[in-house]
Amino acid sequence: MRVGIVCPYTWDVPGGVQAHVHDLALSLIELGHDVSVLAPVDDPDTADLPSWVVPAGRAVPVPYNGSVARLAFGPLSLTRTRRWLRRGRFDVLHVHEPMTPSLSMLACFAARGAIVATYHSSVVRSRALAVFGNSLQPALEKVTGRIAVSPAARRTVMEHLGHDAVLVPNGVFVDRFASAAPLDGLPPGPRVVFLGRLDEPRKGLAVLLRALPGLVERVPEVHLVVAGPGDPDVVQELVPAALRDRVVLLGLVSEEDKPRVYASGDVYCAPNTHGESFGIVLIEAMAAGTPVVASDLDAFRRVLDDGDAGVLFPVGDADALAERLAALLLDPERRRTLAAAAWRVVHAYDWHHVARQVLAVYEAVAAATPVTLDETVDEPDVDDFGQDDDPTRLSETLRRWLVSVRDRAVP
Amino acid sequence: MTDGILLAVAVVLLALYVTWTAGRLDRMHARVDAAWAALDAQLVRRAAAARSLLPHLPAGPERAALDQASAAALGAAEQDRDLVENALTRAVRGAVPLLPSSPDAARALAELEAMAHRAVLARAFHNGAVSGARTLRRRRLPRLLRLAGHRAMPQFFDVEDTALPPDRESAA
Repeated sequence: MRVGIVCPYTWDVPGGVQAHVHDLALSLIELGHDVSVLAPVDDPDTADLPSWVVPAGRAVPVPYNGSVARLAFGPLSLTRTRRWLRRGRFDVLHVHEPMTPSLSMLACFAARGAIVATYHSSVVRSRALAVFGNSLQPALEKVTGRIAVSPAARRTVMEHLGHDAVLVPNGVFVDRFASAAPLDGLPPGPRVVFLGRLDEPRKGLAVLLRALPGLVERVPEVHLVVAGPGDPDVVQELVPAALRDRVVLLGLVSEEDKPRVYASGDVYCAPNTHGESFGIVLIEAMAAGTPVVASDLDAFRRVLDDGDAGVLFPVGDADALAERLAALLLDPERRRTLAAAAWRVVHAYDWHHVARQVLAVYEAVAAATPVTLDETVDEPDVDDFGQDDDPTRLSETLRRWLVSVRDRAVP
Repeated sequence: MTDGILLAVAVVLLALYVTWTAGRLDRMHARVDAAWAALDAQLVRRAAAARSLLPHLPAGPERAALDQASAAALGAAEQDRDLVENALTRAVRGAVPLLPSSPDAARALAELEAMAHRAVLARAFHNGAVSGARTLRRRRLPRLLRLAGHRAMPQFFDVEDTALPPDRESAA
């Protein structure tokens, strides 16, 4: 199958949707399919782009859903999206998060044929839908098949669009995490690992840092290993000076090192406060064999099998977190039991399994979509003759058209 | 003079909008038709897969019920399709526990599970297309101008999903 995937968020900035698109594309290529990914890219020269990623230009930061999303949305992006669609001749177009004003939405406007949309977030309100309302409907109604990565995202789709969505969970390359070795050079003793942006409040690093004094009291030799980009000021603010050497900041870690970060922990902590609709970090930590302590958000509760495959604590409660982290660090037997239970949960999320579920959706959508006549017409690829990526091209076309109109009107 | 121009512009814009809406409505109906064709094909495949369980089943009321229900599903007309499919779902549910644990039976069951899963997808996408078409048809302009012509209002296809084993049910 020829599959075109649209990632709405900037490719060279790490994020859940980007990682999902990357792994899905890899899994589909591994299964022998022809995949192209269209995504905003800030710097196509330095970014380490896989050959199957087509850059769609720079994206601008927009505050969205409690954090900052970087989006590409405008005439130039639309032109590039059109060109990519025309050259790709995809059997299936797979857009991600089409409710945000983004490449995904542009692709829905521009495309014909079989379109699959994946909904990742469980935002209670879509600002785009609230502002533009019915005017977005014509683009969204072209989508034949909808996938939700979590029951929360599925509920959102049903409430806002009145459509059902098929539940296909996020995937993880389980092998890559299961075989990872701990990082070198970390302080000895029990380690609690956190992975995520330091300065994004909903990732909840602040909760974990506030739990540190209580944790050190119970487990004196403990260290926090914090991996992720962002401003480390939050550590200075929330951790008493005497305990600052207990926090090891790794900064942004590469995708290759991520499994090793998980494997370095005796416990993985996910203190997220809200906004998490799936919890891929939990699956990754569990795949690496590290037991998890997570806030009791609906999504986490579900992944952790209601507490059978990991420990839950009340959202935002630093005292409870300190107590539960300490209890787990002091009980190796319980850690082994949890890791074994987690291993059983993880297999349903292996990409090997998940990609086949996505493919079944592609096939069903391709079968359920009418073939339109104009789709089969070969359009001349005008961009091959013009200068690529020239933002003045549109006005140049307009000028030539005006000239031709004038020439016809004035003989 | 300017009033005339304004009126002409308004008329042209309105005409464009009506044409565009009519085209959109037409595409929505085409989507419903295509989605129904896909669902129909998938239901037939499910019925055929259910029939291939028959040789593995011991004689008895369950086998007879599956024989009858799958034959009915293969020849069902559109009107009572939902009832026929539900009957097949129930017959499959009754028959599966009686399957022997032979590799052939397991293969036939796996095939049926895959077909049932795909029928669930096809049904979800069909109902999505129906819901889109119905939403548009219920709006004022299409109703007022009868943009849908003589086409019947698209109908949802409601059946039980219980032909699926538990692990598929949670995934679908």
